[in-house]
Amino acid sequence: MSIMEYNGGSVIAMVGKDCVAIASDLRLGNQALGVSSNFQKIFPVTDRIYLGLPGLATDVTTLRELFRYRVNMYTVKEERDIEPETFAHLVSSTLYERRFGPFFIEPVIAGMSKTPAGGLKPFIAATDLIGCLNFAKDFVVAGTASSKLFGVAEGLWEPDLEPEDLFETISQTMLNAVDRDAYSGWGVMVHVITKDKVISRTLKGRMD
Amino acid sequence: MPDMVSLSRAASGQPSQFKTPYSENGGTILAVAGSRFCVVAGDTRRTDGYSQTRYAPKVFRLTDKAVLAVNGFSADGNMFVNKVRQQLEWYRHGHARDMPLHEIARLMQTMLYARRFFPYYVSNILSGIEEDGSGAVYTFDSVGSYERDTCRVAGAAQSFMQPYLDNQDDWYTRPSVHYKNQRSTHSSSRPTQLPLSSVLSLVMDSFVNASERHVEVGDGLEIYVVLAKGSSLQGLEKLTGAQEVTATSDGERVFTVRRSLRRD
Amino acid sequence: MMNSFADRFSTTGPIAELRKAQANVEDDQFSDAAWGSEAGFGSLAKGVPAFTVPNVPDPSAFLRLHTDDHADPNCRIKIQHGTTTLAFRFQGGVIVAVDSRATAGSYVASGTVKKVIEINPYLLGTMAGGAADCQFWETYLGMHCRLHELRQRERISVSAASKYLSNLVYSYKGMGLSMGTMICGWDKTGPAVFYVDSDGTRLKGDLFSVGSGSTFAYGVLDQGYRWDLTDEEAQELGRRSIYAAGHRDAFSGNTCNLYHVKEDGWRFIGNYDISQMHYEGPTGTGTGYGYDLRVEGRTSANPPPAAAAA
Repeated sequence: MSIMEYNGGSVIAMVGKDCVAIASDLRLGNQALGVSSNFQKIFPVTDRIYLGLPGLATDVTTLRELFRYRVNMYTVKEERDIEPETFAHLVSSTLYERRFGPFFIEPVIAGMSKTPAGGLKPFIAATDLIGCLNFAKDFVVAGTASSKLFGVAEGLWEPDLEPEDLFETISQTMLNAVDRDAYSGWGVMVHVITKDKVISRTLKGRMD
Repeated sequence: MPDMVSLSRAASGQPSQFKTPYSENGGTILAVAGSRFCVVAGDTRRTDGYSQTRYAPKVFRLTDKAVLAVNGFSADGNMFVNKVRQQLEWYRHGHARDMPLHEIARLMQTMLYARRFFPYYVSNILSGIEEDGSGAVYTFDSVGSYERDTCRVAGAAQSFMQPYLDNQDDWYTRPSVHYKNQRSTHSSSRPTQLPLSSVLSLVMDSFVNASERHVEVGDGLEIYVVLAKGSSLQGLEKLTGAQEVTATSDGERVFTVRRSLRRD
Repeated sequence: MMNSFADRFSTTGPIAELRKAQANVEDDQFSDAAWGSEAGFGSLAKGVPAFTVPNVPDPSAFLRLHTDDHADPNCRIKIQHGTTTLAFRFQGGVIVAVDSRATAGSYVASGTVKKVIEINPYLLGTMAGGAADCQFWETYLGMHCRLHELRQRERISVSAASKYLSNLVYSYKGMGLSMGTMICGWDKTGPAVFYVDSDGTRLKGDLFSVGSGSTFAYGVLDQGYRWDLTDEEAQELGRRSIYAAGHRDAFSGNTCNLYHVKEDGWRFIGNYDISQMHYEGPTGTGTGYGYDLRVEGRTSANPPPAAAAA
C-alpha cells in the first residue's frame, strides 16, 4: 500500500487564457474509512499564488505552516510578494532538504506571475515528493487519482480557455477522475485565478 | 526453457531462474455499445520489457455478430481466442447457426473458470450484436466473472481512458444516458445514445490521448465495427480505410478501420 | 516444507484430487460431449467441472503467488475484495441489499456489478470476495437445485441448498477460493438466511452483513432492526444500511440493489444511486441521508444558506 493512499486525495492545476485554475477533492480518509468531507488541500500563498498539497495529511499541515513561515520571512526581507517561479524553487529546495526522509506530499503550484512588461501571465508547476520541478505549459496533476486526471485532462483541455470555460474544464476533469478513484472524492474545491480576482467554488461531488 | 518444475521452485520460495509463466504485454482495448451497433478497438503495440512489436492484433472477429478483444499476456490471449473459435465452430456444426452473443459470454465464463487454479492472464472484452439487435459489451475478469456493460476499457491505460469516456457515456443506466456529471447543464439536450460517427471519433481521440501519456500504448489502432441486421452504414462508407470483413450475406455486418498512433 | 512434501505424495486431500482431475482433463481434452447438441458447454459438458491445474508439486502455492495481493500488491491477477452486502429475516420475509462497486487497488473497475445472484425464483445468493467464484458456484448451485426439484418433486430447502454449496466449497479448501455469501430464500420453514463462506463456515441466522463495509452496515442495521418491521420499514432499513457503508467505505458505493423475498419468491425492489440518496433521499424528492443535510440549521457552525448570507 502506497503512503499516498493512507489519507488519499488529489490535486490538479490548469493553464487558461490570462488565468489559471487549481482544484482538489475534499476527502480525508484513514485508508478505506472516510473521515472528513471538508479537508482543504489547497492554500493561498499570496493573492496570486495557490498551493495544493495532496499526500499524507500530517505533512499537509506541517508543510502548510512551514511554507507560511518561509514565505513570510521572504516577504519581510524582500519587502515584496514572492513570485510563483521563486516560490516553486522554494518548494523544491524545502522538499530536497528532506531527501532521505521525505515529506509524503506532491505539491502543485498555480499562480499568475509578473512579466517584465508589467503584465501577468499564468504559471503552473508540480514537484515530486523530493522536489523535482515540472513546469508544464498545459496542466499538472498529483495524488491518488493522478493517472485518471491525466487521462481526462488530456482529452478535455485545450489552449487559451477563458476563465469560465477553464472552470468547467477543470471541474469536469476533477469530478470524473475522482469518481474512478476509491481514495479521492467526497466533494471538490476549485479556484480560478485571473488578473484581478480569484473565483473559489465548492462542487457537489459523489459522496461514496 | 521455463517449465513447471522450475516454476514450482519459484512458488515454494526456492531460488529459481524462472519466476513466472506469465508476462505482461501492455496495450489497451476498448468497446462501446450503441443501440444498433458496437465498436471494439485495441492498439497494436506489444511490449515485452523494453522491446516492442508494432503490429500484434488484440481484437478478433469470432462470428459476424461477435468480436473478442483480449489484453494482458498475449500468449494466453491468443490461445484463448483459438479455443473459443474452436468451440464456436463445433457449435456451428451441431446447430447450423452461429452461437448467440449471450451464449458466447456464458461459454467464455466456463472456459475461463476451468482454469481457476492456473488462470489465463488475460482481460477479455466481448462485444457484438444480441439477438434483439442491440449492441452489447461483456467484460470478463481473468477467471470468468462477467457483466454486461455499455462502455468499457481494459489494459494498461484503462485508468486514463475510462474516466474520460464516463464523462461522455454514463455507466450506471442502461439504455445509456450520456454526459456524466453534467446533469444540470445538459439536462434538456441530452442524446439518449451517441451516433456511430461520434463513437468512432471518441474512440480514436481516447487512444490518441492515451498514447500521449502511456508508453505501452501506440503504433497502430485497429477498430472493429459491428452493425445490426438491416441497419444503414451510418457514414461508414465515407470513412477512409473502412474495410468490410463480413462472412455471411444476410445478417450483421463487420467492418475494420485502421489508424496509426504515435510510434515513439 | 513438511506440508508440501506430504501433499506431493499423498493420495487423499484436495491436491491429490486436483491431480486426478488434471489427468482426467488431459485424457479427455476432446470428448464426444464437445460435438453436436452438447457443444459449447465448456467444462460443464461432462456434468462436473474439470479444472486445469499447473503441473507443479504445490498448485495452490503457485496460484497464491500470482493472486494474493495482500502478500504482494504487485501480483499479476487481481481478485476483487471491496463490497458491502446484507440480508436479514423479519416478519414479512427476507430483505437482501448490496452495493455495486468493484475495485482493483484504488481504481474503481465497475460501478454496475450485480452482487445479488438470482439462483432460481425462490433463492438468492450474495456476492463478496472473488466475483468469479461466487458467480460460477452459485450458478452451478442453481443447476443442482433444479435437479433436486426434478428428482424429489419438491423445491429444495434453503438449508439444503446452502449446505450443498458449503460442502462443495469445503472440498476445495486451501486451494484459494474466496467467497462470503448469504443464501436467502423462502421454504416450508418460512424465510431463511444462511451465511456460507469459502473457509467452510455455514451459519443460520436472522441478520448478516459481509464485506469491507459490513461494519458500517451493521451499525445502522442493529440500531433499526426489529422482527415486526413492516415491509416498507424493512426495505428502507436495508437501503439506509447500504447507503451508510457506501458513504464511509472507500471500496463500497455507486448504487444499491434491493430485493425482497416473500412466500411467492423474490422480487427486485429497485436500484438506488448512493450519491442521490445522500443529497435527495431514495425517492429523489425528500431530504437526503447526508449528515450535513440532516443537521442543517441545527448548529451555528452549520447554518442554513439564508442565515449564512445574512
